[in-house]
Amino acid sequence: MEESSYRGTGKPASKTRRTLLMGAFAAGTTSLLVGRLWQLQVARSSEFLVQAEANRTRSVAVPPVRGLIFDRIGTSLVRNIPVFSVWATPADIPEDQAARISAEIAALTGGNKDEIELSISLGRSDPAEPIRVARDVDRDIALIVEERSLDLPGIAIRNSTKREYFHGDVMGAIVGFTGPIPAERSEMYARRGVRFDEDIGLAGIEKSLQTDLRGSDGRRLIEVEALGREVRELAVTEPQPGINAFLTIDLEFQRSVNELLNRFLGDRGAGVAIVLDPNNGDVLSMVSYPSFDNAPFAEGISAAAFERLATDDRRPLINHAISGLYPPGSTYKLVAAAGALEEKVAIPATSIECSGHLILPSGWIFYDWLLSGHGNVNLHRAISESCNVYFYNISGGNPYTEFRGLGEERLANFGREFGFGSPTGIDLPNELAGVVPDHTWKSRNLDEPWVTGDTYQAAIGQGLVQATPLQLVNMYAAIGNGGTLYKPRLVDRIEDSQGEVLEVPAVRELGKVDVSAKNLELLRRGLLEAVNGAQGTGSRARTSAVVMAGKTGTAEYSGPRDADGNPPSHAWFVGYAPAENPRIAFVVMIRDGGEGSSVAAPVARDLVELYFTGELPPMRYAPLPAPFGSGPSG
Amino acid sequence: MTARLRPLPIDVALVLAMLGLILLGLMTLARIGLPPSAGLDSQIVRQSIFALVGLALFALMSYSDYRILGIVAWALFVASVIALGLVLLYGVTRYGAQRWFLLGPIQFQPSELAKFTVIVLLARHFAKHQSDPRRIRVFVISALIPVAPVILILLQPDFGTAAIFYIIWFGMAYIAGSRLLHLGLVALISVMSAPVAWFLMRPYMRERVVTFFDPTIDPLGAGYNVLQARIAVGSGGLLGRGGGGATQSQLEFLRVRDTDFIFAVIAEQLGFVGSLIVLSLFGVIFVYALVVAARAPDDFGRFLAGGVLVLLIFEVFVSIGMNVGIAPVTGITLPLMSSGGSSLVVTLIAIGSVVSVSLHRGLPMFNPPTRIGLPPRASRMATGMQERA
Repeated sequence: MEESSYRGTGKPASKTRRTLLMGAFAAGTTSLLVGRLWQLQVARSSEFLVQAEANRTRSVAVPPVRGLIFDRIGTSLVRNIPVFSVWATPADIPEDQAARISAEIAALTGGNKDEIELSISLGRSDPAEPIRVARDVDRDIALIVEERSLDLPGIAIRNSTKREYFHGDVMGAIVGFTGPIPAERSEMYARRGVRFDEDIGLAGIEKSLQTDLRGSDGRRLIEVEALGREVRELAVTEPQPGINAFLTIDLEFQRSVNELLNRFLGDRGAGVAIVLDPNNGDVLSMVSYPSFDNAPFAEGISAAAFERLATDDRRPLINHAISGLYPPGSTYKLVAAAGALEEKVAIPATSIECSGHLILPSGWIFYDWLLSGHGNVNLHRAISESCNVYFYNISGGNPYTEFRGLGEERLANFGREFGFGSPTGIDLPNELAGVVPDHTWKSRNLDEPWVTGDTYQAAIGQGLVQATPLQLVNMYAAIGNGGTLYKPRLVDRIEDSQGEVLEVPAVRELGKVDVSAKNLELLRRGLLEAVNGAQGTGSRARTSAVVMAGKTGTAEYSGPRDADGNPPSHAWFVGYAPAENPRIAFVVMIRDGGEGSSVAAPVARDLVELYFTGELPPMRYAPLPAPFGSGPSG
Repeated sequence: MTARLRPLPIDVALVLAMLGLILLGLMTLARIGLPPSAGLDSQIVRQSIFALVGLALFALMSYSDYRILGIVAWALFVASVIALGLVLLYGVTRYGAQRWFLLGPIQFQPSELAKFTVIVLLARHFAKHQSDPRRIRVFVISALIPVAPVILILLQPDFGTAAIFYIIWFGMAYIAGSRLLHLGLVALISVMSAPVAWFLMRPYMRERVVTFFDPTIDPLGAGYNVLQARIAVGSGGLLGRGGGGATQSQLEFLRVRDTDFIFAVIAEQLGFVGSLIVLSLFGVIFVYALVVAARAPDDFGRFLAGGVLVLLIFEVFVSIGMNVGIAPVTGITLPLMSSGGSSLVVTLIAIGSVVSVSLHRGLPMFNPPTRIGLPPRASRMATGMQERA
């Protein structure tokens, strides 16, 4: 065999050995491959199978339908109206065409080319998930986009919805509105699984109930190929539609209360009116006048219109019922009264002489609103006639008579007892806490020591005390109902999209105020007398429709003084009706309105008549004469 | 008397293994490529045509006397070097490398041909100097033979193919009896020059090396193919996921499925069992070439068969190895299976040359075989030539 005729053969043994060693090499490499294949395909196969499955499937969100908002009796306050939107599926958009497609979409829809392109490139992290690049486009534009689908790969028209609000003129501030996620909160919403191109609640109930109204995403499990394009649908979980919320507010009543303020304040004044059910905290009406209509916000309000709202001195974009902080004035005296009785600083019979002012040894003079003085007053008269000097005495004491007052610590404690200094927890965003001042607060915030004068000021709801109208009415509701402080309830019930009641938000007590029934009764008698007594400051609230109890307040604040040198003041009236077993508690506050007794009390009377007669009474007083911000009036 | 070719039983096994691999490759391409209705754009159509052409050339090569190759070795070599030069000037660029000639609808890749011509020339060189293969001069000259094609291929650039040439040279020099000292020195120098090579590499090559060691560094970029191939192979399991269930390849997570990663497609669809079948079929070819080399009638035949063996072992190992993550991604095709006409045709010609060595054992040169039949008796073999003439 080896006797070949072609050239020499050298050393056959060595060559054969080396050739056969190549065989060993081949066997070695092949074994290496077999070993590796065993490892991958047999030993670790299940692990790779999982990875292959994860590769091939994607879960894509199916957006839910946003829930609706109704008033107490089911009047629609918002609906979803179908609109055409332009959606881009990044997986289907070739990268080299993204710029062209973005430009075309921008040109068709009037959008911003760079923004659209950015959205698409951001969407590439999860390319099967469509992104909304233009919302609410005209039907004609939608048709053009559909027709040009061959030139616009990855672009589709989808039906989606936008909000249309009703009765926004009186409900706008409460219902609020939706809009695109503000950039600074995009991360927070992303963590909650809200898509970046979604509209979210930005104000009012839309904001506070965002999670419930939104519902939860459905998921489509789809099979995708490597570029993320959908191959087929594997499974679908339907989205959970958002809940429908029914508010405690009665729209017609709300409209009337708004009209009540409107006819008095017109386009000059500003004020707040709130009506609560004192027996459970239901908010029956809440008007911050003037306010804004939420309908244009759903469309994307024009810059000019927004500018008008933003620059109005009366600040209509703010719900002053919960986000306005004001000195409560004399309406706050009930805190000192309750504290003094409860701590036995004074008994009902304790009589204090009011000479119209009180001079501290330091030389500071604290006046009564009645410069001639009230003479000897007891608790009953102090409340009904709103005697400042009485409350100076029982709160800060009197260095001359050596009467020992409640002191700032205990005064502040009773303020907190009635809910001041912390938000009530109403289902609305941006509620403020207010201030119940004490020496700690003062030294921390003003870096000044507490003085007796501060206690005097605090006792009459002036100086450092700051409260929201809602806190005030909630306190009076508690006095009226026998001492229960409720969390104001704005959502009466929650239904699913089929009308099944899912939840009736519980009536929640914030607590029982730590004031005995006997002492509360003494306060109530004072409040009854304030309206119905011969000398009562609230006599102008008196009505034949119902016997009510209430308290006026004229809360001075620093601002330009009037011709007589008086500082400007907010006019308050807070109360409840009927005086026995009240059905409503209410507050009327006319910002910069002047005196509570002459300005707020008549409006409160109309409010109570409105509630108990069902009709807005004729106007028996002149509209607020002076424009807002021009100084005190009436 | 008539001289006859003597096909070994193993010749039949070789042909069956070869056909098996080609068919398996075609079946795989049929699943992942364009349908035949796409005409010449369809990989299955093109590959079928190339397979037929290749098999014809395989038959021609088998029945031709391999010793002719020795005579025309230089001519073949020079022709392929010229082709490599021309492809740099006139070739088309794909995947960032200028490797192909367009001949009408056919693309021709001269570097594939060069692999074979270098083997032939090396075989001739070593055979010619078998009186003393241990001489340094023989060794050095042999090392210079692949220089021209390697430089031209590096210019394309195609690092993986260029590397094959020196692997072939190294294996052939070993078989031909070069001194182990010389070979050892070369191996040592290669290892030590690795940092220099790293310095000379283009960024994409470095990326491939890095991702070979850790594909998870850049799972969506450079490491993507490596990871996806590993997932494809692993998810195939013992028996495979079948055609429809093979999501990695069917849904295109696996890229360059028709060439670099065709093994992963097969492994996913047919599982460990299928992988073993592929490896066994290659094993048959290895054993065949090994037997032919060991029993070759002359040194040229021995080195020719040995060179083809080295080429096939290396290509199979690296190609499958990069599919399973034990070799870097180099763009080396899986012989007989990857889509690519030049590779398929040249591989078939190369195997044909090995068959020729087997068939022409003991036959005088230029004795055209008459028919395949029973092995001729030894007595006939010496006189066959005259009788035929």
